[in-house]
Amino acid sequence: MSLNLMQTFSIFGFFIILLFIVGTYCLVVTRNILRAVIALEILIKAVTLLLIVVGYITGNVALAQSLVITVIVIEVVIVVIAGGIALSVFRHNDDLDVRRLQNLKG
Amino acid sequence: MPSLIILVPLLGLIILNMPIGNFMRRGAFWFAIALFSAQVLLAVFHHSLAWTGKLPPVDALFKVGFTIDHLTFIMFICIGLVSFSSLLVARHAMGDEGELFKFINLLIIASVGMSGIVMVKDIFSLYIFLEITSIASFILIAFRKDVYGLEGAFKYLVLSAVATILMLTSIALFILVSGDTSFSTIGASLQSGNRVIVMLAIGIFICGLFIKGGVVPFHGWLPDAYMSAPAPVSILLAGIITKAAGIYTLIRITSAVFGFIEPVKAILMLAGTVSILFGAFAALGQNDFKRMLAYSSISQIGYIVLGAGTGTALGIAGAVFHLFNHSVFKSLLFVNASAVEKELKTNDMNRMGGLSYRMPITSATSMVGFLSTCGIPPLSGFWSKLLILIALWQTGHFAYATIAVLASVLTLAYFLMMQRKVFFGKLALGLENVKERGAGIMFVSIALAFITIGAGIFFPVIYNNFLLPIKEILVK
Repeated sequence: MSLNLMQTFSIFGFFIILLFIVGTYCLVVTRNILRAVIALEILIKAVTLLLIVVGYITGNVALAQSLVITVIVIEVVIVVIAGGIALSVFRHNDDLDVRRLQNLKG
Repeated sequence: MPSLIILVPLLGLIILNMPIGNFMRRGAFWFAIALFSAQVLLAVFHHSLAWTGKLPPVDALFKVGFTIDHLTFIMFICIGLVSFSSLLVARHAMGDEGELFKFINLLIIASVGMSGIVMVKDIFSLYIFLEITSIASFILIAFRKDVYGLEGAFKYLVLSAVATILMLTSIALFILVSGDTSFSTIGASLQSGNRVIVMLAIGIFICGLFIKGGVVPFHGWLPDAYMSAPAPVSILLAGIITKAAGIYTLIRITSAVFGFIEPVKAILMLAGTVSILFGAFAALGQNDFKRMLAYSSISQIGYIVLGAGTGTALGIAGAVFHLFNHSVFKSLLFVNASAVEKELKTNDMNRMGGLSYRMPITSATSMVGFLSTCGIPPLSGFWSKLLILIALWQTGHFAYATIAVLASVLTLAYFLMMQRKVFFGKLALGLENVKERGAGIMFVSIALAFITIGAGIFFPVIYNNFLLPIKEILVK
């Protein structure tokens, strides 16, 4: 890697790691189903950014583009299903607290 | 030609869902039956022309590269068999025709996803098919929309999304090192790449696969999902989805991309052994029939990972054979558990007892299933465990081999407890009117039991025709 690319990578790398930390913190701390889904979204955004940067550095912009678009499509499907589950949980429990989702254990 | 395995079900789904009358809904069941039977038959007779022929117009349109080898054939057989059993059980478990139709759609999507997983040769298509399978299984777990199903589905969704994020991160790192996504290019460039990045990527990827496969310490979602899902979905999840998504991918990626390097082997064997012990001890303490089977699954998956961790041709053959056996006998046990659940309206083993008087076929086939799980000759489970043990002994891992043998005794212990509580002893109060389930479920139980017995007795044939050629995945 040349110096210029290295510099680009370090700037993006900082934000990627920041997004990872924010997402992980959010996922660990939150007690709300929708916030957990948002945390997953933040984590996926971090990965998407990483893919774009990697594509730029290695000169595979076309590959990175197709990858990122596919990731976005799949992520939307996952969020829709998570939203559906959250809605059904709300209809049963009247709130979105994950602490009330503890019927299964043993 | 292999692309037809993906395209035919997808086209069928589109046609079945066209708004041209209700007869399509009734046709869906038979379409799925034909699909899964064709898949199993084509894979069993894999010397036929169907796999090597070319269809230029289709290949020109559908440009995903697929590869077919003997590991793929065994996975095709497992996918077809388990989906078939799940379908027949669903027909009896779900009264409503509309529900059955929805279930069949999701089942076909899941099986397309799994067929894709076992055929791909680049890491990006692998990710897509893994997600197709996972998305279908989230919906399947929450199928009844009850509180338990939603909880199980949500736990699986969150952990599976985390696994996906880990895998994508590692895919990005692989692209950084090699500049491409195909297995062979990545595998070739791993030796020359930056050591830290390569090890980080491999570690992250293996963690993701462990989550998908339910290997300890990432097993948290697995008992909840198996227990809360409707009966046909439990069969599908336990029988094939976790294995295709987690364990098969682990074997394929390790042999084709990472290579069996020492750190990978050490991680696999350690995780496998911990899973064996943890699953067995946790299963001993369960009162819920399906939850006990789920922990038993974790334990048996440990054997598969342990066998794959040896990195020798024999170890991988043993692991793959145990994978096949486990999908057959765990499906059998879940079919029987679903029959018992449907009759008694409960899964609590303390409220059962003496069911062998009322359900003799369920009881007898359960016995075949659990004896095979424990590795009693001549049933098929004995041979796969024997292969794994020989491979461990040959590579000099005596401690792991000893633990694996002793854990087999634990397996026998919890299954004997299960059999005594549920089927043997005096008939429990209030169970006088229990009957065998319908012919469909009994047919599935008996067929799976015969496959277990047959695979044990005709082991040499299977070994020579299906297991021995698997070593071709090691020579790259």
